Amino acid sequence: MDNKSPATDSPVEYIQHHLTPLSAGEGFWQINIDTMFFSMLLAGIVMFIAYRVGKNISSGAPTGMQNVLESLMDFVNSLVKEAFPKPNKIVGPIGLTIFIWVLLMNAMDLIPVDLLPKLADMAGIHYLKVVPTTDPHTTFAMSLSIFLLCIYYNVKIKGFGGYMKSFMVHPFGIYLAPVNFVLTLVEELAKPLSLALRLFGNMFTGELVFLLIALLPWYIIPIPGSLWAIFHILVITLQAFIFMVLTIMYISMASEESH
Amino acid sequence: MNVTATLFGQMITFIVFVWFIKAYLWEPLTDAMESRTKKISDGLAAAEQGQKKIEQATIEFSTRIDEAKSKATNIITDAESKSKTIVEDARLSAREEAQKIAKTSAQQLEQEVNAAREKLKSDVAALSLLCAEKIISKEVDKNMHNQIINEVINK
Repeated sequence: MDNKSPATDSPVEYIQHHLTPLSAGEGFWQINIDTMFFSMLLAGIVMFIAYRVGKNISSGAPTGMQNVLESLMDFVNSLVKEAFPKPNKIVGPIGLTIFIWVLLMNAMDLIPVDLLPKLADMAGIHYLKVVPTTDPHTTFAMSLSIFLLCIYYNVKIKGFGGYMKSFMVHPFGIYLAPVNFVLTLVEELAKPLSLALRLFGNMFTGELVFLLIALLPWYIIPIPGSLWAIFHILVITLQAFIFMVLTIMYISMASEESH
Repeated sequence: MNVTATLFGQMITFIVFVWFIKAYLWEPLTDAMESRTKKISDGLAAAEQGQKKIEQATIEFSTRIDEAKSKATNIITDAESKSKTIVEDARLSAREEAQKIAKTSAQQLEQEVNAAREKLKSDVAALSLLCAEKIISKEVDKNMHNQIINEVINK
């Protein structure tokens, strides 16, 4: 779609255009190239920085990036230590990765909504969704990975039988086993679902509001635009933080000995 | 949302990302931070030990100084008393010497006086004899004159 006319002429079309991902393939093989590209790009940048910092680590006084990452690590570690009675080697890195990744992917939201799509349009790519977290694939990918890890920990700590038993006896005791099973199943499934949908919903609506602001006349845009952007900085950080904290909480609940 | 390759692609990205961060950032950084913690606590402990050593050294220093001071006073008092006795001894021996010298000189003087007196006596006797002879040659009364001579001599 070549959107040469001003956005205000056909607002619905404009918004729909902006919310259509650049995708290839059909059915299962549908690949959202923009989502994959931006999330991997951000992950790659972080990995590159992490690799460089990790290679030149000094146990003396830390400087520059190492300082930043160390304080981030301390921040994540304090949350992990609060949630976990015994040390767990994988939760810390997961929390840190999620926080950084989600924060950066959300931060793509702060780039003016039309900038990258317009540039891509000039390069011949007509659809582009810049913010990977407005694609449920991304948020579900993380929440499902965490869900699988939770199941792994449940089975590892409680044993398969113990895990199944927790479905049967919680919360009403063994005599209402079928009810318990349904309730616990819903509870367990609600965790990854709410985790993914919360982030997706927040970022999607945030993006939508930016698009709506973009429909206003150009002389009005700066006021609501900057206000929403400032507010959105809070949302971005908060959502990244919430995602990380809930991840840590879910894994810690999964690795508890018994409910 | 459908279950698509994007979902799995993102999951794989996520897992690789977590693994990478864990292997290349989290673990080395944790090690570095732990070793730093250890270094700092070691340093603090060493500093504390140094402080203690300084305190001990100060105490030892002051006791040594006190000892040295008391030793010095002892030495001074010893020296003073010794010098006193030496001076006293010298004074005594000098006095004795002086007395001895005085005594011997007095004795010598007496001896010389006696000798002089004896010599004078014999001289006077000889002189008187000479006188007597002269007188005798003029006067015969020897006895009377002898009496006079003896009287003179005895004086």
